[in-house]
Amino acid sequence: MIPTRREFLEVALGATGALSFGAAQPGWLRRLPGRAAPGAGETALVVVQLSGGNDGLNTVVPYGDDEYGRHRPTLRLAERELHKIDDHLGFHPRLGGIAALYRDGLASIVQGVGYAGSDRDHGPALRAWHTADPAPGRETGWLGRVADAAQGPEHDDTPVMFVGPIAAPFALNATRAVVPAIGSLAELAVDAAPARPAEGGAEGAERSLLAHVRRTERAAQALSEAVARARDARSRVEYPSGPFAADLFTVARLIRAGAGIRIFCTELGGEGFGGFDNHANQLGNHCALLQQLSAAVSAFLRDLEAAGLLDRVLLMTFSEFGRTLAENGRRGTGHGAAAPVLLAGGRLRGGLLGVHPSLTDLDQGAPRPHTDFRRVYATVLEGWLGLPSEPVLGGSFAPLPAFAG
Amino acid sequence: MAPRHQLSRDPAAAWAPYAPDAARPWTLARASHLYRRAAFGARAEDLVRALAGGPEQAVAELLAPPGDLTAFDRARDADETAACRSGRSDAVRDWWLRRMILSPHPLRERMALLWHAHFALDAAQVKEAPAVRRHVALLREHALGSYRSLVEAMVRDPALLASLGAAASRRGQPAEGLARALLERWTVGAEHCAEEDVREAARAFTGTFVRGDEVIHVAREHDGGVKRVLGRTGPFTGEDVVQIALAHPATAETVVRRLWRAFVSEVEEPAPALLAPLARSFAAGLDLGRLAGTILRSSLFFSDAARGQRITSPVELAVGLVRSLEGLIATSTLARDLDRLGQRLLHPPTARGWAGGPAWIDRVTLLRRQALAAALLAEGGAYGGRLDPREVAARHGHADVNAAADFLADLLLPEGGEAVRSAARAELSRGAPGEALRRFAIAIARSPEYQLS
Repeated sequence: MIPTRREFLEVALGATGALSFGAAQPGWLRRLPGRAAPGAGETALVVVQLSGGNDGLNTVVPYGDDEYGRHRPTLRLAERELHKIDDHLGFHPRLGGIAALYRDGLASIVQGVGYAGSDRDHGPALRAWHTADPAPGRETGWLGRVADAAQGPEHDDTPVMFVGPIAAPFALNATRAVVPAIGSLAELAVDAAPARPAEGGAEGAERSLLAHVRRTERAAQALSEAVARARDARSRVEYPSGPFAADLFTVARLIRAGAGIRIFCTELGGEGFGGFDNHANQLGNHCALLQQLSAAVSAFLRDLEAAGLLDRVLLMTFSEFGRTLAENGRRGTGHGAAAPVLLAGGRLRGGLLGVHPSLTDLDQGAPRPHTDFRRVYATVLEGWLGLPSEPVLGGSFAPLPAFAG
Repeated sequence: MAPRHQLSRDPAAAWAPYAPDAARPWTLARASHLYRRAAFGARAEDLVRALAGGPEQAVAELLAPPGDLTAFDRARDADETAACRSGRSDAVRDWWLRRMILSPHPLRERMALLWHAHFALDAAQVKEAPAVRRHVALLREHALGSYRSLVEAMVRDPALLASLGAAASRRGQPAEGLARALLERWTVGAEHCAEEDVREAARAFTGTFVRGDEVIHVAREHDGGVKRVLGRTGPFTGEDVVQIALAHPATAETVVRRLWRAFVSEVEEPAPALLAPLARSFAAGLDLGRLAGTILRSSLFFSDAARGQRITSPVELAVGLVRSLEGLIATSTLARDLDRLGQRLLHPPTARGWAGGPAWIDRVTLLRRQALAAALLAEGGAYGGRLDPREVAARHGHADVNAAADFLADLLLPEGGEAVRSAARAELSRGAPGEALRRFAIAIARSPEYQLS
């Protein structure tokens, strides 16, 4: 009997991972090199890490709740400056681009995301989000596990990539797969090798290491040419300046090039504790970061919209925790718990998912999460990438009704 | 992957020392193979010495280089200690790469790198950069010594204990990280121990604490009760468990398999019978230098069964190229590029180190390897043009462009590269000689053949 792709994977993964994909989309990650092209219909997920603990209460602002203004004498945002969502909530003044996406049905907000008993230290909290496991000790990242599962017996291309100037987040740590990182498109635009006489024989079928590298080289050259074309392709959309916008520009070009990358990870806020960690003088810092986020995400989606690729992309943000309701006397906030997650893309249902967390029933001064973050992961894995989420997340988490029917 | 070589089926013949004869002469290709596997890459002078002295002497000099290493070591130790005062473990990584490039004892650094993948310290879990430096120094000190001493040093290394989450192991709350790593990865292997062994071994290690830069033993936190580990029963301490695990016959095989992957093949799973003679003799003294020597001297190592059977890791690729071209480049820049190729030194992706093998190469990582080779050899740019192929060729007496090209091809890829070599010659027809030879060297270093060793 000829083994199915699924049996193949199970054999290849053996006792180590035992991840297996459902029969519905058996080989979704195993695109043959060179076959990917714009219009091929693949979906891409872009995961954006907001490093440092984003203040969700000044991102999606509960201006209609008296508790908000009462606890934030200097950090509260004036109602008239907000981009209103409804008579209770509004986007931060600098989130104009995202507010416009939201009005167009191209963005959704998942409210109150976190996990029970969440950690208030950056390291463990970030590790929980990266591993999709609040218990310490998990060795691989949730996106790394997807990359591992995609490693077939023939060493297929890794469909996961980090784009950005810092070291790749732990979410991408994998046991078997090598998850590459790039800083700019130039790193993939490599001139063609000098022409060589064809290497003899039935090399295509040969299973030696050299044959593997030679096959990969041909596919790599095709990718490089596609990237160079996409890089030079005119865009009607102007991206703002700054490294984060440059990273999303890179991602957009790779999607346009049909590079076959299904999951991109990027980051805003930087290394160390991260720019969103504002214990003092938060207002100006936070404004600048949200401005970057909004302008870059908006340019990214409008760019893909103009290229007719909007329905192929979904972007999600996350941060290790939200922040305390009350400001701390230094015009900053402390580490919190629940925070909103932004989803943006062409096939969303739009609107709000879940209610805003209560501002009177707090956990150590911060809003309590009501939606486990792994439900968001399950949503993007199942609803967007067509992957069963349970083997990746190590448990069953109900996806959210985020997508248009 | 490859069809099994005849030697793989005859252990005695496989591990017998290679003796050159008419059918298997001692050639540039064989000498180059030895240096690529055991020393990151060959320098011209290495190849000249090796060809003149024969394989036995070449291996002996790799294991114990002639001359005095202490001056080199002392200068590097001082540099690294000073660099650590900045408090960043990135400095340790940068200086280690520098040592790999410059070391007169490259096999020792190659083995230290292998032990790094084996013990898989994650510097992100270690607060103090000097502790990370000391960890790497221990890997180096014991790299070719006794595996017993190496493991004994590891189980009381503050940095590694912190990395394993075993910085505080109490009687009522034994930390399992160390016991699990010791049994499942460093000694008998997961297939030879059960969860129960790990739990019992963890009890034996209770009372171990990291305090500042040392590991201390707190008697009242030690569980002095009877444990049952790997079939032995007694009121064991952590040291007892280490000795029990090291004495287990499966431990020798674990280590022999490690060296098989590093030196012989990543793609062929060796039959147990093939490894048995090596494991038997290694078990007697756990002498790593002797084991490495046996493998590197062997007929199997110099046979076709061992050639082209590994993908060079990003670190080996870059360090080998820089060594061969007798230069020195900014290793902080290099470390960042290696990180992007998937090998972030001192931050392995998991406690199993890097899986390596064919997974190093896919479309994206291959393009990035090619871009790195081009950047290292470019006239300007990120690496400042500090490697100069033309100058190296001239230094060894090859001033003419064509002779220089032959020299560079022999140096970097003396076998299996005829097509690569002739295609690269196209680069010689334009531009000034220095520039043309840079492009020639790039064409070789980016070829599929050069990604293998």
